[in-house]
Amino acid sequence: MEEYHSGDEVAFSPDDASNVVKECIEGIVGGVDYSQNKVNQWTASIVEHTLTQLVKQGKPFKYIVNCAVMQKSGAGLHTANSCYWDTTTDGSCTVRWENRTMYCVVSVFAVAIAL
Amino acid sequence: MHLVPGHSRTPSFPLDGIKCVLESFFIMANQPLPLSQETLAQFNRSMSTEPGASGPPRRRLGSISTRRSSKDQSKDQPHHRPLFLRSMTLPSSESSFLSPTVSNSHISMGKRFSFAGWHQGGRVSFSGLYLQQPIQEVYVENTYRMGPEPGCRFNASRTQQILQATLDSYLEGVCYSPDSCSQLCQMLADLVLSKLKDVNPPRYKVVCQVVVGQSGKQGIRVSSRSLMNPNTDNYTSAVFHNHSLFAVALVHGLYFE
Repeated sequence: MEEYHSGDEVAFSPDDASNVVKECIEGIVGGVDYSQNKVNQWTASIVEHTLTQLVKQGKPFKYIVNCAVMQKSGAGLHTANSCYWDTTTDGSCTVRWENRTMYCVVSVFAVAIAL
Repeated sequence: MHLVPGHSRTPSFPLDGIKCVLESFFIMANQPLPLSQETLAQFNRSMSTEPGASGPPRRRLGSISTRRSSKDQSKDQPHHRPLFLRSMTLPSSESSFLSPTVSNSHISMGKRFSFAGWHQGGRVSFSGLYLQQPIQEVYVENTYRMGPEPGCRFNASRTQQILQATLDSYLEGVCYSPDSCSQLCQMLADLVLSKLKDVNPPRYKVVCQVVVGQSGKQGIRVSSRSLMNPNTDNYTSAVFHNHSLFAVALVHGLYFE
């Protein structure tokens, strides 16, 4: 287990997180078409893998990972978020991914913890 | 109290034993002049150009402070910078330069000082009146608290009620439209957050996400997983659905000390 650096104020890095997220999405729903039966499983795996990868980085954060998978049918989708936190240390990152038959929107929120 | 390197000594005037935690600065005045913010910040700079400064290095840190007695002179000479103070952290206790005993000093008259060197960044008016108190450091005592107070946890059920009520009242009868729904979505998120801030227990950070979509024949699944402390943190969600749109709101409350 990596050690936390106490006393360091590490700000959240959205780029790292978005790379992690993209890899996870590609790995799970990379080349498949939307399927009603499997979508439950997909969203659960995406969030779980993303969270595990983020935790492996060993940074002093609490994480929230949200994932929305929607079938492509011409309907519109909007997401918004609003957060009450310390902007110097906390942050978020949202990744939009799509393929031929579905959209996938994953948001990661990282909230610093005091060490 | 210590000397700022590179500056000349101050003129002699009695110290009043004022304690202060400021960096050192010089006071030089031959008449009570009101202070402007720039003057406080650039005092040291003027010192090096002051001729005739003499006397033992004395500091009266507390006296050049935020007390301003007369505004007349400042109006006459708006660019006057007679007294300067670097970072000020104490309120003024005395203003010795206003006393008639202060003498043997010299003011750099007519000197124009730029704002560039001013460290504090507060607002200044050219009439010489400062508009803002100098920034004071706030020292907060340790509360020795390791967790939220017993009645002060994130209340998931109450938050859920608020969330559901907000969604229902706001989206009742609204039709999906691609142009306006993105703003509607953001507005909902901000609205929910503002409502939650009132009921939020102290030391809690709140993350709120809203997903709004058009109601069609498509399927959608929204899921969330988080890494948090189950003793102190919690989350809730609410769903709204009508003939033309659907909305999902997720709120997480995270304890932070």
